[in-house]
Amino acid sequence: MTTPTIDDLQAITEQVWLSYLDPEGITPFLPSEESPGMPCVLATVSVTGAWDGHVVMTFSQKASRLSASALLGMEEEEVSIDDIADAVGELVNVIGGNVKSLLPDGSLLSLPHVATIDEGVNKWPAAVEVCRLQGSWQNEPIAITVLTSKSSG
Amino acid sequence: MALTQQEFAFVSGLVRREAAIVLEPGKEYLVEARLLPLARRIGTVTVSEFVARAQRERTLADQIVDALTTNETSWLRDREPFTAFTDVVLPDLMERRTPTQKLRIWSAACSSGQEPYGLAMMLEENLKNSMQYEILATDISSEMLERAKKGRYSQLEVNRGLPVPMLVKYFQRAGTEWQASDALRRNVSFQKVNLAGNLPAVPPFDVVFLRNVLIYFDLETKRSVLRRIRSLMRPDGWLFLGAAETTIGIDDGYERVVAGRASAYRPRAATTAPIGATRKG
Amino acid sequence: MPTALVIDDSRAMRLILRRIVTQLGFEVHEAGNGREALELLETLDPMPQVALIDWNMPEMNGLEFVTAVRSQERFRRMTLMMVTTESEHGQIVRALAAGAHEYVIKPFTPEAIAEKLALLGLVPSGTMS
Repeated sequence: MTTPTIDDLQAITEQVWLSYLDPEGITPFLPSEESPGMPCVLATVSVTGAWDGHVVMTFSQKASRLSASALLGMEEEEVSIDDIADAVGELVNVIGGNVKSLLPDGSLLSLPHVATIDEGVNKWPAAVEVCRLQGSWQNEPIAITVLTSKSSG
Repeated sequence: MALTQQEFAFVSGLVRREAAIVLEPGKEYLVEARLLPLARRIGTVTVSEFVARAQRERTLADQIVDALTTNETSWLRDREPFTAFTDVVLPDLMERRTPTQKLRIWSAACSSGQEPYGLAMMLEENLKNSMQYEILATDISSEMLERAKKGRYSQLEVNRGLPVPMLVKYFQRAGTEWQASDALRRNVSFQKVNLAGNLPAVPPFDVVFLRNVLIYFDLETKRSVLRRIRSLMRPDGWLFLGAAETTIGIDDGYERVVAGRASAYRPRAATTAPIGATRKG
Repeated sequence: MPTALVIDDSRAMRLILRRIVTQLGFEVHEAGNGREALELLETLDPMPQVALIDWNMPEMNGLEFVTAVRSQERFRRMTLMMVTTESEHGQIVRALAAGAHEYVIKPFTPEAIAEKLALLGLVPSGTMS
């Protein structure tokens, strides 16, 4: 089986950005050490079946709003909390679907789940990180993490 | 942040010298959008800084030429020339050539390879009597040729005008990408050619695809490119240009012919005199 | 005006596709899954020229929808185009075997949709470039 790598995540992310968030190719997602803190918006999909794990996107609040605005073609001020949920849910769905295509046949993708976290914990205590891509888009932090529920050893 | 007139003049002069491409004033935004990723890659903050360094560093200048002479390509976006190729040109050539004569096709600005591999697909699907073919794919950009040679395409690229039955027949998944099969790659060779410079010394071609390249050249360069390409065509060969391009008023040595719903161009001798009769002198 | 049916459980994706297909000159109908789409088809006259179909949806998925539509003669003239993140070679082959005509992998650019519809003869080529 193929284990998704940070290079895979980067390729997938670049394509998602060119398709939906940065069609002109002028505001790319730029990998960096930066990582979203609290409060944040979390969007996840789970993979079950032949492989078990999660694909998780974390956005700063502003990044989630910018994403919804770009994806839905709305002004930033018009964007509602539902718009944000739909937009980041779709982003994680597309990225998760592309990650799934690298996993063994017979893996299934769940429906996306979106939540906002103001403070406290944001953890998958029993999961192992497979790869993580973090960086910024229009100077706002976004991270994408692939976690597996079973160690792949 | 915006490019100064002097910086834009440097960039447009560079691509004009290196690739004979004319960048009119007003295209500053295009230059900035294409160069920003390059600037970021080497850690310069602005496109202006990048251009300043490129004036001293040859490799950066080459990158500018590459970035401004390439576009994301579709496989079969303009269907007409490809339909004409399979419905008109191939039947014509299969009739005129003996089964032992290899068909020679030139994809003269192959970019990342969609055109030569697309042509290979059509030849694989349509050639009869085990007729052989070879495709020469050339481009001005070394970076593009390297990519084309690999035959690896992103998901975004295989989405672009490639019929899905062709995708599943001629490509395999390779990680996040798709790999062109050996069946497509074995008859395609690659070579770096600047159409405005010296053309390769090779046997003549049956079909030349020169699409959406002439538009970048000035009139004199267009004329010279068309004339020299004609000298590399079989007398009964076919030339396909982009939809917005023509030989008319530029090079009288071609005659425009209708091929299906597309226009094609053929060396004039082929249509005004019996084949071979005028070329013997 | 030609019509298109967009079938996707994501409102964001329906909106993106609606915007693209509208620009290409189609009137757009939407359904949130395969079952909703079959119900909607009963009420639509004339039938849409093309359906753009997500794969993973609740209640009835895209593959089941394609199979259901292909089993009925009256839908014979409707073009079926999958638009999905399912991108394994085998999955694409499955969708074609079930009767899908074309396939777009998510993520896609507007040009990808326009060019596939042009390949299918549903819009003139070069409509969006």
